Amino acid sequence: MMVSSCPISPLLAAGSMPLLHNALIVGAILFALGLVGILTRRNLIVMFLSAELMLQGISVSLVAWSRYHGDWGGQVLVIFVLTVAACEAAVALVFVLQAFARTGRLDAAAWQSLRDESLARTVDRELPASDATPASWPRLSPAGVLPTGGGEDDQQRQHI
Amino acid sequence: MQSISPTSLLVLVPLLPLVGAILTIILGRVLGSRAHLPAIAGIAAAAAAAVTLLLATAGQVGGTSGGHTEPVRPVEMISTLWQWASVDAAYTPPAGSPAAIPGTAVGGQGDARAFSIPVALRLDPLTATMLTIITCVGLLVAIYSVGYMHDDPGYPRFFALVSLFVFSMAMLVAASNFLIVYVFWEAVGACSYLLIGFWFRKPEAARAAKKAFLVNRIGDFGLAIATFLLWMTYGTLDFHDTLSADGTILPGILGQTRLADVSGIVGGTVGTAICLLLLLAACGKSAQLPLHVWLPDAMEGPTPASALIHAATMVTAGIYLITRASPLFVACPGALTMVSIVGATTALVAALIATVQNDLKRVLAYSTISQLGYMFASLGTGTMLGFTAAIFHLVTHAFFKALLFLGAGSVMHAMGGVIDMRRFGGLRRIMPITAATFLIGGLALAGVAPFAGFFSKDEILATIHAKAWPNAHETHHEVAPAGGHAAASQSPFLPVSHRRTTAIGADSGGTTLDALDRPAIWQTLYWMALLTAGLTAFYTFRAIFMTFTGPTRVPDEAGHHAHESPPVMTLPLILLAVPSALAGWWLFSTNWLAHFLSATPSLAAPAVARTAVPHAFHVDLAIQGTLAAAIGIVIAAIGHLGRRSDSPQMERLLGPLQTLFANKFYFDQIYSGLIVKPLEAVAMLAALIDRHLIDGLVNAVALIPVGLGGIVRRMQSGLVQRYALAGVMGVLMIVLALAWQLRG
Repeated sequence: MMVSSCPISPLLAAGSMPLLHNALIVGAILFALGLVGILTRRNLIVMFLSAELMLQGISVSLVAWSRYHGDWGGQVLVIFVLTVAACEAAVALVFVLQAFARTGRLDAAAWQSLRDESLARTVDRELPASDATPASWPRLSPAGVLPTGGGEDDQQRQHI
Repeated sequence: MQSISPTSLLVLVPLLPLVGAILTIILGRVLGSRAHLPAIAGIAAAAAAAVTLLLATAGQVGGTSGGHTEPVRPVEMISTLWQWASVDAAYTPPAGSPAAIPGTAVGGQGDARAFSIPVALRLDPLTATMLTIITCVGLLVAIYSVGYMHDDPGYPRFFALVSLFVFSMAMLVAASNFLIVYVFWEAVGACSYLLIGFWFRKPEAARAAKKAFLVNRIGDFGLAIATFLLWMTYGTLDFHDTLSADGTILPGILGQTRLADVSGIVGGTVGTAICLLLLLAACGKSAQLPLHVWLPDAMEGPTPASALIHAATMVTAGIYLITRASPLFVACPGALTMVSIVGATTALVAALIATVQNDLKRVLAYSTISQLGYMFASLGTGTMLGFTAAIFHLVTHAFFKALLFLGAGSVMHAMGGVIDMRRFGGLRRIMPITAATFLIGGLALAGVAPFAGFFSKDEILATIHAKAWPNAHETHHEVAPAGGHAAASQSPFLPVSHRRTTAIGADSGGTTLDALDRPAIWQTLYWMALLTAGLTAFYTFRAIFMTFTGPTRVPDEAGHHAHESPPVMTLPLILLAVPSALAGWWLFSTNWLAHFLSATPSLAAPAVARTAVPHAFHVDLAIQGTLAAAIGIVIAAIGHLGRRSDSPQMERLLGPLQTLFANKFYFDQIYSGLIVKPLEAVAMLAALIDRHLIDGLVNAVALIPVGLGGIVRRMQSGLVQRYALAGVMGVLMIVLALAWQLRG
């Protein structure tokens, strides 16, 4: 999409390869971080944050290419991307709010009931070895109300 | 009706009952209790047309010739309605065979014959007689049914079926093509099935209908194979001669062109095979051994249906077929003797079984089988007297057997559905008209002079006697009778060069069956026929005495029904009693029927006509027959007359024989063991294979997606991030593939 052949600033050499490379690397790092975040994090808002991060990484790449080819088209597309990201943010946050209203928590793993019936629920009951509790608990003076234990609620961490 | 031509009348005879049937089917429910009107109107009009045709044909045949036989000119009228099927150049017959077109060059282009089936009706004396019987007896049965089926919920259906049956039977006897005959052969079988199973919710009736249809099918198989053989042998299936496009005559199988030529009919192995298959078909339809098992069970149907179908008309289709094909049979003496052997054996066995039956309708059913056996025995003698005597007996039997059946229906109606003779007695005081007409019918059946059965039975005995003792009759007649082998060549009708009746056709010479045509066999058959005559009188009068004489007893089911039947039922009884009493004497003394029938093209053929003998009354045979009948009546009276009618029966004196007769010679058990049980085993095996093997295969194939899905299903964990991961992996693979493409 060749918008115009109006040259950009003559101070910076158009088509400078090292600049392109560096900018693409930055964009790729941002994109990768966002991808890993979506796949790994369980908090819905953080997942959405990671998606936005992916979009920003793409925007950086687009700007880099636009600068390299001397074509405004890339940067115009970035404006489009930002606009769409804003609308998408509105929709996604409504969705997150509804999800929270339904289950009372922001955990993506709370929505597992759509799995196959022969599979067990994926739980993180197993605490990591570093969090293993010592054999003996410190003896404290009794204070307050004992916490209620057991039940399905305890199978998931309440707050992430 | 001078304005209606015989051709139109011939078409109207089957057409009007068909229209009546269709109207009854459409309007039945609307008409309600008047649903009998279209059917009776149709059959009545058809009866009027049939009688008119009979008189017209009689006028064409001319007057009777008294006691002297003369060759009679054949009388026939063909009416072709439309061409049903036609295939050009279907079959190239070998040169010189009966199927080749006469007058064409051997091996030329025009030798291929076309396969054409015209829907053609043929009117000749035999057809006219059969049509009159069918429509008149059908009309009387229909009138009777108005009273008998009065309260039945299936009232319109019954009349539609009766009307449909009259149509089918009329077309059967009028058709002039073997394939059309086969179509209506099946049609009457289907109507019989529907009428036997009329009360289809009763399991015995449904089973009886199924049995009748299946046993008939075995006969139909014979007719089908015979039709194929006839087509291959003669190149056509028409009875009559047809004109081809270029003016040559294509001889029909039973047309005048072929019959006039003595060598036109094929004998030998092929001819005997055709005749035996036709005999099989006739056995199925006319309930002869061993295909007789359906007729006693067919009594589950309504009594008027039994009277019409299983006494007067459908079961006579076999007799009609053999009479129509008489030139074919005369060319094969072995097959003729088989016909007689089957007939006489059936007559005797059925008469023996009838002596111990307690169900009035079953007695009449076995009596029908026995009398049909008589007709077959007469047909098998192969002489003009034999054929005309069989038709004579058919006519008289139609009247008195229909009378007997309708009388039994009247008794059954009055006794509230009970037909076991041991449960009622002395009914002549309650039902005088039924008793009187039943007695007339019984006297006719037993062959007591001067009732109808006496004369027809006398003629049958005479023709068998003539075959058994050929020399005894030379003193009776001016001309030596010429049965199968012409020993004396004094008759002016025999050709000078003494020839056998087998044709010089494709296979000349006789078959091994011809060895049966010996006087010793015929003498055995004669004594069997005489014994059967005595047994007939016995069981008939046993039934009459048990039912109508003795102290008056009425079963509880009768309720308030135990009175004489209404006039709509007794009027047909009286109308049938008149010909039962008088027809025999009248037809015999004037010899009208024999002379009339001898003008049928099948019977006017020289091969058959030269066996004709002058009409005479054989006093010695009449004495023998009457003596046998008298002995039978006396024994029945000793056992069952009057006070003894409700006492334990004398048949117990028979001892173990009584069990044999009462179990119908174990025919049903033999069939069950030999045929039904093995077939059921095969059916169960097939069901097992179907359920486990074939369905198992299909189910196994269905398990493949289930298995595959089970593997893939594990990926569905419910965690959104794992799904996203799968998508990312997919994108990664595409990117790698693209990169590989670009690199490489």
